[in-house]
Amino acid sequence: MNKPKVAILGFGLLGRVTALMLHDKAHLNVYEASDEHASNSAGALAAAMLAPLAESVICEADLAQLGLQSMAMWPSLLAKLPDPVFFQQAGTLVVAHTQDKGDLNSFSQRLKPLEGHTAYTVGSAQIHDLEPELEGRFHQGLYLSCEGQLDNLAFYRSSFAYLQNSDVQFNFNHKIELSTTPSEPVLIDGHQFDWVIDCRGLGAQTESSDLRGVRGEVARVYAPEVELNRPVRLMHPRYPIYIAPKPNHEFVIGATEIESQDNGPITVRSTLELLSAAYTVHSGFAEARVMAMNAGLRPAFSDNRPRVERNGNVIRINGLYRHGYLLAPAVVSEALSKGLL
Amino acid sequence: MRENTPLTIYGETFSNRLLIGSALYPSPKIMQQSIVAAGSQIVTVSLRRQNSVAAGEDFWQLIKDTGLTVLPNTAGCHSVKEVVTLAKMCREVFATDWIKLELIGDEYNLQPDPIALLEATEILLNDGFKVLPYCTDDLVLCQRLATLGCEVLMPWGAPIGTGKGLLNPYNLTTIRERLPDMTLIVDAGLGLPSHACQALEMGYDAVLLNSAIAGAGCPVLMATAFSHAVSAGRAAYVAQAMPEKEVAVPSTPTMGMPFWHQ
Repeated sequence: MNKPKVAILGFGLLGRVTALMLHDKAHLNVYEASDEHASNSAGALAAAMLAPLAESVICEADLAQLGLQSMAMWPSLLAKLPDPVFFQQAGTLVVAHTQDKGDLNSFSQRLKPLEGHTAYTVGSAQIHDLEPELEGRFHQGLYLSCEGQLDNLAFYRSSFAYLQNSDVQFNFNHKIELSTTPSEPVLIDGHQFDWVIDCRGLGAQTESSDLRGVRGEVARVYAPEVELNRPVRLMHPRYPIYIAPKPNHEFVIGATEIESQDNGPITVRSTLELLSAAYTVHSGFAEARVMAMNAGLRPAFSDNRPRVERNGNVIRINGLYRHGYLLAPAVVSEALSKGLL
Repeated sequence: MRENTPLTIYGETFSNRLLIGSALYPSPKIMQQSIVAAGSQIVTVSLRRQNSVAAGEDFWQLIKDTGLTVLPNTAGCHSVKEVVTLAKMCREVFATDWIKLELIGDEYNLQPDPIALLEATEILLNDGFKVLPYCTDDLVLCQRLATLGCEVLMPWGAPIGTGKGLLNPYNLTTIRERLPDMTLIVDAGLGLPSHACQALEMGYDAVLLNSAIAGAGCPVLMATAFSHAVSAGRAAYVAQAMPEKEVAVPSTPTMGMPFWHQ
C-alpha cells in the first residue's frame, strides 16, 4: 500500500510531535514560516513542565486526566531520538513563604482529583529530604509525585536531527495560508497532498477568529550554585512561579501570563518579578548567569482548551495554551486518529 | 422603610449593584459566563499589564462583547505620573471618561497610597475624568476626596485578593454615616457572599469583586451566589433592620398564656 502524502504546517512543538508520529507511515513535507529552530514558537520558550495535577487548579478535570495519559506517551516518543533528551518524572515540589500560606491553601483546595494521584502535604523535614538545599527556607508545601518535565531545547534539536535523517522534506521560511474550504487532494504551494495537518499555532490566527495569543515571559539561567532535584513551584500572591531545573545547572524560571498579543522583549517588571522570586527560593540564584530572557505567545481559544478540527482532509490542531508539552502527544494522537492512524 | 434609589455613578443609574472584575478567571469563556451569572452591568478592566494598546485588542474585544459598561482601572500603578498616563490611555481605548483610580502604596498587600491618591484625583478631575478612587477606609481621606469633587468613593473591605471580608465595619459605617449622599462602593477584600451582603446591609450602594468569583472552585456558581447576596443585602437595607436590644424580648405575647408556661 502506498504511503499517503502529508503536509505538516508549522514546526513548533505540535509539528514535531506530529512528524515523529507519522514519519514512518507517510511521506512528509514540513512547512515552517521561520527556520528549523522555530524560535518564536511557544514550545521553544516553554519550561516543558508535565504538571497535570498542578495545572488541574486552572483547567477542567478531563484535561488534567488527558495530561496524565499524555505524559505516559513521552518516553516512547523520546526513545526514537538518537540524541538523548532529558526527561524526568520526579514530581513537583510546591512551596510557599509563611505569609503566602493562604495561597498555598487555596491552591491545595482547588486541586482536582486525578485518578490514582494525589498531593502530599509536606513540612520542613520532608522538604529537606526532597530538596536539601531549600532547608530552612520553607516550612510548608505540597509534593505532587506524579509530575515531570523534559528539556524543550534538547527536544527541538534532537527531533529535527532525527527527522532530517528520516526522509522528511523541510521547507523553511515558507509561510502557508490555508483555505477555509480546502480542495481534495489539498493543494499546498502548488503540490498535492492527501492530508494536511495544520500545526501553525498563532500562524493560523487569520483563519480562526477566536484564536488569541497569551503572552508569557521566562528566564533561562545558568546557576552552578543551585542544586534542585525537580521543578519547584512557588506560591505568590499574584502569580505562580516555577523553577524547572534542566541538565548542566540550567534553570527555566517562569512564567508570566498576560492577556496581550505583544511578543516584544520581556519587560523590566517581569524580569524583576521572576528573578527576585527565584532568589527567594534559593540565594544561589544571585550569582546565576542570565542566558536568555524570552517572551512569546501561547495560542489559546476563549475556553483555553485545545481544539482538533477536521475539514475534509485538513486536520487543524491548535489552542494548547499553557499546556503544550503536557497535552501534545495525546492531542496529536487523537487528531491523527481522525483518519490517518 | 427606606427609599430604594438606584445606584448612581456620575449621573448614570444602574439597577444592579455588583460590579465585577475581569482578571484571574480560568478562561475568557468562564469570565463571560461569570459576568452573565452575576447579572453585573459594570465590568472593570486593567490596561496596566498589556504592553501596548493594539496588543490587548482581542481580550478587550471579549470585554466589549459583554455589552456592559466598562470601568477601566489603573491597577499596578505606583506613581501619580503612571496613573495619569494610564487614565488617558484608558479614555482613548474604551472611549469613556470613567476611571477607577488605583494607586498602590505598598507592593506586598497592594494598599492604596492615600497621599498620592489625592494628588492624582485632583489632576484627573481637572482633566475632565469621572474618578472612582480606590481608597482605604479612612474617614478623613474620604472627606478630602469628596471635597475634591468625587461623586463615588471605593473604600476597601480588606486588602485586594485576601478574601477577608469587612475588616473594619466601624470605619465603613462611619464613612457611610458621615457621607450620606455619596455613592459608596466597597472594593476589594471580599471573599464570601455574606461579606457582600453585609456591605449592602450597612447602606453601601454596591460592591466590586474579582478574586472572590474568579478564584472560586466554580466561578459561575459563585457569581450567582454573590448576585443573590447583593440583592438580599440591599433589600435588608431598604427594609430597615430591627434595632438590636440588650435583653431578650418574647416574640409571642405572654398575656393569656397559662402561668406554668410563662
